[in-house]
Amino acid sequence: MVGNRTLLEVKSLRTYFPLDEGLVRAVDGADFKLVSGKTLGVVGESGCGKSVTAQSILRIVPRPGKIVEGELLFHRYSKEGDAFSMADVVDLAKLDPRGRDIRRIRGNEIAMVFQEPMTSLSPVHTMGNQIAEVILLHQKVSQAEARERTLDILHRVGMPKPSQTIDSYPFELSGGMRQRGMIAMALSCHPSLLIADEPTTALDVTTEAQILDLMRELQEELGMAIMYITHDLGVVAEMAELAVVMYLGKVVERADVDSLFYNPHHPYTKALLRSIPRITEDRRKWLEAIRGMVPDPYNMPSGCPFHPRCVSAQKQCEEVDPPWVEVEPEHWARCVLYADGTTETGQG
Amino acid sequence: MATIETPTSGARSDTSILRDKDEEHIYTASQWQLMWWQFRKHKAAMIAIVVLGVMYFLALFAEPFAVYGPTERFPRFENVQPTRIRFIDEEGQFRGPFMYELTRTVDPATVRVVFVEDTSEMYPLRFFTPGTPYKILGIFPASLRLVGSGTDGPPIFLFGSDHLGRDLYSRTLYGSRISLFIGFGGVFLTFFFGITLGGISGYLGGTTDEVIMRIIDFMVSIPQIPLWMGLAAAVPRDWPVIRTYFAITLILSIVGWGGLARAVRGKLLSLREEDYVMAARVYGAKPRRLIFKYLLPNFMSYLLVSVTISIPFMILGETALSFLGLGIQPPAVSWGTLLRDAQRLTVVAQRPWQMIPGAFVVAAVLMFNFIGDGLRDAADPYARL
Amino acid sequence: MSERQDQRLLEVNGLKKYFPIKRGFLRKTVGYVKAVDDVSLYVNEGETLGLVGESGCGKTTSGRCILRAIEPTEGEILFKDPNVGWVNVRELEEDALTSVRQHMQIIFQDPYSSLNPRMTLLQLVGEPLVINHGMKGKALEDRVAELLRAVGLRPEYLRRYPHAFSGGQRQRIGVARALALNPRFIVCDEPVSALDVSVQAQILNLLRELQEDFSLTYLFVAHDLSVVRHLADRVAVMYVGKLVEMGETGEIYPSPRHPYTEALMSAVPRPDPRAAKDRIVLEGEVADPANPPGGCYFHPRCRYAKPVCSVESPVLREITEAHFVSCHRAEELSLTGVA
Repeated sequence: MVGNRTLLEVKSLRTYFPLDEGLVRAVDGADFKLVSGKTLGVVGESGCGKSVTAQSILRIVPRPGKIVEGELLFHRYSKEGDAFSMADVVDLAKLDPRGRDIRRIRGNEIAMVFQEPMTSLSPVHTMGNQIAEVILLHQKVSQAEARERTLDILHRVGMPKPSQTIDSYPFELSGGMRQRGMIAMALSCHPSLLIADEPTTALDVTTEAQILDLMRELQEELGMAIMYITHDLGVVAEMAELAVVMYLGKVVERADVDSLFYNPHHPYTKALLRSIPRITEDRRKWLEAIRGMVPDPYNMPSGCPFHPRCVSAQKQCEEVDPPWVEVEPEHWARCVLYADGTTETGQG
Repeated sequence: MATIETPTSGARSDTSILRDKDEEHIYTASQWQLMWWQFRKHKAAMIAIVVLGVMYFLALFAEPFAVYGPTERFPRFENVQPTRIRFIDEEGQFRGPFMYELTRTVDPATVRVVFVEDTSEMYPLRFFTPGTPYKILGIFPASLRLVGSGTDGPPIFLFGSDHLGRDLYSRTLYGSRISLFIGFGGVFLTFFFGITLGGISGYLGGTTDEVIMRIIDFMVSIPQIPLWMGLAAAVPRDWPVIRTYFAITLILSIVGWGGLARAVRGKLLSLREEDYVMAARVYGAKPRRLIFKYLLPNFMSYLLVSVTISIPFMILGETALSFLGLGIQPPAVSWGTLLRDAQRLTVVAQRPWQMIPGAFVVAAVLMFNFIGDGLRDAADPYARL
Repeated sequence: MSERQDQRLLEVNGLKKYFPIKRGFLRKTVGYVKAVDDVSLYVNEGETLGLVGESGCGKTTSGRCILRAIEPTEGEILFKDPNVGWVNVRELEEDALTSVRQHMQIIFQDPYSSLNPRMTLLQLVGEPLVINHGMKGKALEDRVAELLRAVGLRPEYLRRYPHAFSGGQRQRIGVARALALNPRFIVCDEPVSALDVSVQAQILNLLRELQEDFSLTYLFVAHDLSVVRHLADRVAVMYVGKLVEMGETGEIYPSPRHPYTEALMSAVPRPDPRAAKDRIVLEGEVADPANPPGGCYFHPRCRYAKPVCSVESPVLREITEAHFVSCHRAEELSLTGVA
């Protein structure tokens, strides 16, 4: 399965939470595209809105959060022989979050893997039953057939001894095995889009390496698009072809991974890349830290949210909402530095 | 020093719930202050505090508010319905609060005693009028009553009277003393046992912990009501009121402490594992300091919540025992003993006013539950984000 | 004492911490979780020793046992007290321990659970001074203010409670508290792993700065190998309660001598899309410390394993100057590190 079919277009998405303490703009301007067979890395620190973006796509934003603006265009294709043709486009943002349409998409065409498998799996049902449940929900198959498929998918995700683990409860499995189970459940209906929200953050490096390998293998095999949410720039570099960087609800930069790491434009991306210690680098005296801290969501800075911490901040940054500029072909940044269209080469 | 960051204001803090306060004020607010601010937002709890405040005040200073003494009887005025306080006379003229005398007649159809208003003479209500002498808090002699019909007027029964012709309103006020304060006594004992044993269990661990926990397992597995009844029945009938009161308090608290001890132990065990307790041990804090500066303050708020929600259980327990005739014995008055008089079906059908003390029980329990609710929300100001 | 030992501040020999597994009504001990199993290491004065490994490998337990924040089951913990010279921390009585601990402190991972929410900054940071020196009033306030300045917090914050601070700031408070008694040795237990990426660098810089200003020695417990490479002079790697390799950072990273170290470093995702992606992916799961395999604990996952590995436990030995490895095949293997 090849060909880069656009699966999901996210256009100026805004998801707000009207809380007693004030309006929290959890997602405040996100634009990106998901393409079949490719991985989009979504990077950002805590509170940058990366998880809410994912929840918005699946329409599972917790109350009182609401999508207030934007389009989530989900493209469906029909397959004739080896050729795909576009069948229809649904705007997920317009669907009723509890309605039939979104329920048919959720878990079926778009699936999600969470950070902590223990809290997203039912503790009182066996792994196998939970996966079979998803299959039965979305496909017309018999119980026996569902179990057959469950066994097959457990094999595929490299679950050790699938014929035994299918009847194990989540607590009997290790963190890595549970995450394999979650992935198996997500993939059981052959989704065209898989959203992975920090799936390896709770795991150790060697287990993380196993899961990352597995996800790449499965993507090659099944050709789905992956939206990979993480705070780890290393994981993005390894997993993704395209990446977006988020800061306080806004996508501040979007590019292919190579350009993002070797030719970053937004000051936040640049600073972030400079501030992380690298395993390949010998003992260095100082890290170039970003000053200050991530502000409180109720006390957002005016203008560009990054300006109080930005080394290139100018007077206007306090007031102007920075424009979304295509700084190079297919490379976008949200910063006043590029407002006039001139491109300045950053150092990676 | 070179690369020092001065953290900017507007740093992410955990108390965003309190945005409306000025920042420095919040940052220097202790846990109790944060808890109070959060608690104030809970309207039902705030109302409950006022209502309970009034109830406790009335219980403490019952005499001036009551019309008569707790055992004052009015022969021939048995089972009288609540007196109607009127403002407008027969001619439709406003006359201020007054009442008519009731006359005892027999309904010829049902052959039952009924009381009918005799509208020939009006008796105005008197305020701050002298009544039967009493002692405030049992110390200061006085005789003024808030309401009365004067020395010559007919008796006033705001809630009606009971089968011995005693004023139910006055008795309800006096009864609230035992009923409301038994909660405190019982809770105090429950907490004494619960905290001591739970604390020992959690702090020492090992065999001591095992033994205490097994005892609690045993205690908790005894059915509560039969145990209460058995113990209460064993209290000699001829004991003086005070002694019976303490016996009942003790009985009520025997059942409660097990669960509390378990909770305290669990909380202690989890607090003991907190990093800040370990840090304190590493920089040399001795056990005494650990307990009083680190462990206790951090579960005080939790205890406060427990207290508030266990008081209503005590109130209900006393009411239940006295209702069954096993608790407080007459002539002492409590809501339970008052309700005991209302046990018969005829009361429900013909003298519903005799169930009014029940309404007070419900109100008190409800109010405590509201406060408990508010406290639970406020107890951990950090839990909500 | 040899010359080599003269540079040392801490020497741990044969440290063990076994947690009993109790079952049944009578709580009979049916086995032990060997969280730390015969660990020997040393820390030189003024350096940072990085202690790395995956979760459950016993690195945190080791750090806490060294301070006797939890009681070790067995072993010798030698510490060079500036006043009385070498002492075995494990054998000290309560009072002597308190006095030695003034020189040994700890910084925790979780900036939330490590600060008592009911104490102000003054109380939090001043507590060690109150307990150990009975300091109070103006003297205490001045000293606390000085400490706060040292960690980059404004002294005006004295009366604030921890809820007023963000994770990074709280971590600074924890550091100030650890510094209060002028310690020489600090166990840093994953001090940055709970922080946002952009704040991590600030705290790492702070730790480095304080190390210079106060000539501190760190035992830096971490799972993040990049952070450890940045900060540590030497590294010790643990796997299932045992130390598998220890040596200079500059030597271990480019040329590890233990297959587990090699795999661990290879597994770390690099923030470089152009980096080679031929990672070593270990098969299977980390061994269960309650029921470890025979021989070398790592042999079931080791791609270089030989029959001897499943039978005989390797011992930690010095294969080159100050480079210790516990692997039967350490000399013959040539492993790849990170450049």
